[in-house]
Amino acid sequence: MTTASVSRPRPSGWQQASRLWRRAPRSFRIGAVILAFHILAAAIGLFWTPYGFSQLFTGAPLSGMSWQHPFGVDQSGRDILSRVLYGGHIVLLLSISGTSLGLVIGATIGLLSGYIGGWLDEILQRVLEAIISIPFIVLALIAIAAAGPELAGNPLLIVLVVALVYAPRIARMARAAALDIVTRDFITAARLRGESAWSVMWRELLPNATSVLLVEFALRAGYAPVLIGSLGFLGFGMRPPMPEWGLLISENRAALITNTPITVLGPGLALASLVVGLNLFTEGLARILGRSVQIGQR
Amino acid sequence: MVQILRLIGGRILLSLLTLLLVSLIIFAAVEVLPGDVATRILGREATAGSLAALRAQLHLEDPATLRYLRWLGGIVRGDFGFALTSARPISVILAPKLFNTLILALAAFLLYLPLAIIPALIQAIRRDRPVDHGLSVVTLVLLSTPDFLLATILLFIFVMTAGLLPSMSIVDETSTFTEYLRAIALPALTLAIVMAAYAVRMLRDNLIEVLDSEYVRMAELKGLSRRRVLLRHALPNALIPSLNITALNVGYVIGGVVVVEKVFSYPGLGSQLVNALQLLDYPLFEATVLIAAGFYIVANMLADIGSILLNPRLRSGQ
Repeated sequence: MTTASVSRPRPSGWQQASRLWRRAPRSFRIGAVILAFHILAAAIGLFWTPYGFSQLFTGAPLSGMSWQHPFGVDQSGRDILSRVLYGGHIVLLLSISGTSLGLVIGATIGLLSGYIGGWLDEILQRVLEAIISIPFIVLALIAIAAAGPELAGNPLLIVLVVALVYAPRIARMARAAALDIVTRDFITAARLRGESAWSVMWRELLPNATSVLLVEFALRAGYAPVLIGSLGFLGFGMRPPMPEWGLLISENRAALITNTPITVLGPGLALASLVVGLNLFTEGLARILGRSVQIGQR
Repeated sequence: MVQILRLIGGRILLSLLTLLLVSLIIFAAVEVLPGDVATRILGREATAGSLAALRAQLHLEDPATLRYLRWLGGIVRGDFGFALTSARPISVILAPKLFNTLILALAAFLLYLPLAIIPALIQAIRRDRPVDHGLSVVTLVLLSTPDFLLATILLFIFVMTAGLLPSMSIVDETSTFTEYLRAIALPALTLAIVMAAYAVRMLRDNLIEVLDSEYVRMAELKGLSRRRVLLRHALPNALIPSLNITALNVGYVIGGVVVVEKVFSYPGLGSQLVNALQLLDYPLFEATVLIAAGFYIVANMLADIGSILLNPRLRSGQ
């Protein structure tokens, strides 16, 4: 007797997505919502803000919270909310492109170094170790010193600085992953087939290191807005009147004396909530991919 | 014993090699990269005469390797050369700043320990209760708050609103102990909070793991007081895996002082670094960076040597 196979309707893409979403860790879901909000706000801010981001005399200078100006007004009469909104895409784009560039450089160096091994690996390790032993912000300042004052405030320089700071750290993770993968049989097979190191890295190592690299990318992207903000705050990042958030906090610090803390807390809230979102997202992503991650690693 | 000495010796040699590489990286980044250093310092409008004078002062006509070796040779003898912006020797400029930063770092670490341990203990005891979840959220938010923002908020609360502390942490050799204490209170608190936020999460998880272990159950069954079980049995065992977090935090402090000292105008190595870069005083900048990196390398080396000495398997020579 044959049993009639009961064909269940195939779940639609939407249903599958919503089931995945419900199964995802709570930190991932909260993080994703915060990030989506930030991306949306940045996209809106790019095209529309209540006032122009550098429009002067929109209200009484150094005034606090009001319906017209929820984040207050700075000393030149610029609306802080408009500046924060417009600054969103700057912060996001700089962070993502800097971290991506760092990931590409770091993953290439790390995977190749781990696969090829030998004296090349030994030398690279020593150099990377030396670069990592220079604290984050100090390394960024060295890069800025090397670029010279001519390039100061150039967004491209900031992307390069973020990449330079992250690449050695990502390379270390990628190398560790490569060392683990290299012992497997399919790598030996590829080697015996006579594939070049480049093609082994591209076709064998990279696909197997994806989850490590994804978590590493999310972790680094989570700190990038802080690094960029710190540079802006110290006066080595974006230049006025660009409303990068660290720079905004630094600009309005003087206004604290006049008791309008919202002009600092507004941009601060934007920056901190973005980092909270990225951190939660990273933690959830690591849990989904079965990796452990120490959030807030610098 | 020989094995331990060999391990420690190897670690020290490795640190020296790293330091040498760091010095090479710093020198190469600032002085060898394309572009004329003299033009970079004086700007495009500088006259040929002043450019030539600066080149002579910095010996820029010499080959880079010779300049690097001369720089390195001087540093080994404790001579960092002269600053461009003030004609004083760099070692004389940096000595008091180094002292100030060390005091600040020490105070930050003293504050950091209770700030990390007490919340972690509370969370571990009241596991999965509202207070645990609440503290988790607080540490996550603090972890995600940039140090310059945290410093600014603390400045606002303690200085502008409460009027308890000075807004500028200015000290010099003539400052009294109380003046120092008032000056470093807020910068040290900022650094301590950032470090603690990083450590609390790990310490909580370690504590919970230890509290679930058999020997803690045993201690409880023996009828020891809860307090004694926690403080004498659980805490020390939970602290050991957290040591490497503290080593990472040393690295943070060395970078963190750059931003935090600047916020409070505290005259330490960090604000010196920023000022030297702003004034394009490259010799001073290079020396400050090298000292900062050197500190990190030495701190890491000491942490590793400590863990070699603490490792019972190595200690008993097996």
